[in-house]
Amino acid sequence: MPLLFIAAFLVLPLLRTLKEGGLSVGILAQPYFEKRLAWTLEQAALSALLALVIGGPLAYLLSRARVPGTALLLQLLLLPFVTPTLVAALGLLSLFGPRGLLHLDLSGTPTLLILGNLFFNLPLMIRLAYAGFLRVPPTLIGAARTLGASGWRSALTVALPLAWPGLAAGAVLVFLYSALSFGLPLLLGGEQYGTLEVEIYTLTAYDLRLNEASALILVQLFITFVATAVYVRLGATGGAGVATARTLPRPRGAAAALTYTLMGAVLLICFAPLVAVALGSVHGRSGVTAAFWTGLLSPDADPPLALMLGNTLRFAGLTLICAVLLGGLHAFAISLSRSKALDLLSLLPLMVSPVSLAVGYLLLYPALRASLGLLIAAYTLLASPLITRSLLPALRAIPERLNEAARTLGASPGRVWRTVTVPLIVPALRGGAALALSTVLGEFAATLVLARPEWATLSTGMYARLGRPGEQNLGEACALATLLMLLSLLAFSVLDGGKGEVT
Amino acid sequence: MSRRSTLLGLLALGAVSTCTVSAQAVPTLTVITHDSFALDKKLIAGFEAANHVHVQLLKGGDAGELLNKLILTRAAPIADVVYGLDNSLLPRAQAAGILSAYTSPAAAKIPAAYRLGDGTLLNTVDAGYVSLNVDRAAFQKTGLPLPTTLAQLATPEYAKLLVVESPATSSPGAAFYLATVQALGQDGALNWWRSARTGGMKVTRGWEQAYNQEFTLYGGKFPIVLSYASSPAAEVFYSAGKLKDAPTDNLFIPGTTFLQLEGVGILKGSKQTALAKKFVDFMLSASVQKDFPDRMWVYPSVPGTPLSSVWKYAQQPKLPPMPDSLLNRSAALTDLWVTQVLRK
Repeated sequence: MPLLFIAAFLVLPLLRTLKEGGLSVGILAQPYFEKRLAWTLEQAALSALLALVIGGPLAYLLSRARVPGTALLLQLLLLPFVTPTLVAALGLLSLFGPRGLLHLDLSGTPTLLILGNLFFNLPLMIRLAYAGFLRVPPTLIGAARTLGASGWRSALTVALPLAWPGLAAGAVLVFLYSALSFGLPLLLGGEQYGTLEVEIYTLTAYDLRLNEASALILVQLFITFVATAVYVRLGATGGAGVATARTLPRPRGAAAALTYTLMGAVLLICFAPLVAVALGSVHGRSGVTAAFWTGLLSPDADPPLALMLGNTLRFAGLTLICAVLLGGLHAFAISLSRSKALDLLSLLPLMVSPVSLAVGYLLLYPALRASLGLLIAAYTLLASPLITRSLLPALRAIPERLNEAARTLGASPGRVWRTVTVPLIVPALRGGAALALSTVLGEFAATLVLARPEWATLSTGMYARLGRPGEQNLGEACALATLLMLLSLLAFSVLDGGKGEVT
Repeated sequence: MSRRSTLLGLLALGAVSTCTVSAQAVPTLTVITHDSFALDKKLIAGFEAANHVHVQLLKGGDAGELLNKLILTRAAPIADVVYGLDNSLLPRAQAAGILSAYTSPAAAKIPAAYRLGDGTLLNTVDAGYVSLNVDRAAFQKTGLPLPTTLAQLATPEYAKLLVVESPATSSPGAAFYLATVQALGQDGALNWWRSARTGGMKVTRGWEQAYNQEFTLYGGKFPIVLSYASSPAAEVFYSAGKLKDAPTDNLFIPGTTFLQLEGVGILKGSKQTALAKKFVDFMLSASVQKDFPDRMWVYPSVPGTPLSSVWKYAQQPKLPPMPDSLLNRSAALTDLWVTQVLRK
């Protein structure tokens, strides 16, 4: 079933696009595109490295000491991950723009794009690394310390090697997301720091040079395929050991200073942009104002807020149901068959350029061009990998003997499923569902399908407002963005129970 | 598990097919537009009631993206009517053969200067002027006199104050580029773009980045922006009554303004030609012409249509007509810009 879905809504449309355009490999020899490719790889590698350098140590320190607010920080860290790109760009610019709150003008520099990548990916890195370090048995580090190793030394020689697969997997994931990122370089990169994905979009949507776009698509697929294979391999070797609960000491001295410095950096990169957007919704050129929110709430807002909110929730809900079913099935299939290929396939939707899919949809399914079914399918395609990825570690962590024991004690397979497997994977499922839901809330997947005005969501409403001049429009866009953030937070506290178990 | 998801799939299919069933009772007319299309819903509902039709509106992206989608799907057209293709895109639409001829009786009222091509494929609905806007307060701080020629704008002194959109990815950008070609000739224009860029002119992908991010009025550092002649009026309109005067002015420098004409037409292969023609007429009707100016910030094409008072903050530049020979080359000229300016 998941395979059929991927075939129908991913592989076929992509092949159809490639077929329509043909292939012109010559483009790859042009210096301009060589530069684009180099920059795509460079910015992704730099982002991954920085995420590792900031996120790794912080995660280790947090796992070793009782820092007040750790749980809250870890939970809040999910917010950037599910923030719509447009909101992130708005926030980053109001912080680091020419008249930004920080008086530090980074607009038009590559730094802004890297900061944007970190905004989205640092949280992922920290959470993955934190989970990795928690699995390192504290007794091992304790033994090293007893044998005279310093805190630094035990961290580097004991904890790091043990947690390395998790850390490396995190870094590869950051690389992958940054290399494929589309919205951020489109909004922040300008013409100088665009990535391959931006070029694919331009060649397809504006220049209608599908043959050249196809060449770039294939290059991109190759890069992401390699990175994904590395990631899957690392994921398979990592994850040894079980997280243990224990009481931790408060951090002291240099460790405390480092912890708080890193935390400060994370707060600045990951949360300050969001705060700036929220401020933008109540602060105009002439000071504090309620005009943007009242404008949004007024009955003649176009489109009305109730419609946008209703659609957002409806699409997100429908997608969630489909994504849990498909993503869940896929995860079970992977864990039962232990197939590497299936594992790789589950990440495929994250690797393929959305704009080439959109063309494929139009060519393959003209009759479905503006149907709700296609819209939900497109959303599901984007959301189900998150479910699969969340469920997999939980499924793999269930010891085989647990099921066998239950069977020996006379439980039927159905009963084992109900009383053993399900309770063990529910926390992961809830976490994955929260992640998927929030992504859908903010995702502009409507770009995949022809939009209908009556389908206006909070995100499309935001785009529409940013497309018109006038202060009121920009302010209302900020208000809509704030609303989206609140919804994401709500999704997390309800679905994830505030435990923040998602990695 | 798999049975349940099959069920869900059937439900989804059911939802889709109920749409089609309900649509069969009343015929559906599909109208595809660019993303900026906005019209009072009551007017559409009135059209539906008067013609016993259900109008399905689709948004196909920016005008350039919209055209490409229509070209890609010409074998199985995705709509009956298209609104939003403009004079710079018409030659490509014509060459691709995606439009079928229809001239609305109402088009007789439209002035000849507003006609799109020979007027057979697209009926002009509205006209707008692409133009440079200047942030008055921010520009004053530079202490410079306002620029009056294109040549001046390319000097580093002024180029570093200017943000424009890319001709390759934005319709105002393409319009501005055509205006520079008309004024300076092909090679002169390419040279102008190269020196302005060296001088510090910023080129963004789209209007949103230029206006909302780079323009001084919204926190950027460029006090001159490529926008529309109507933007100063929109600034007053969207200030919730706070502004008594526009914070921006138009800067009508010869070779920087462009008359953009947007039209409505019928797509080849439509099975609803009679209804499609009615919709084209509807777009030229008095009530529609009166409604969209304050929503889309463009002038109605039918003379005598009343405008709201806020339009006194917008001006119309005097323009030499853009020759068809130049419009016909717009795609080739853009390619030239991409290879000779952008990718250098």
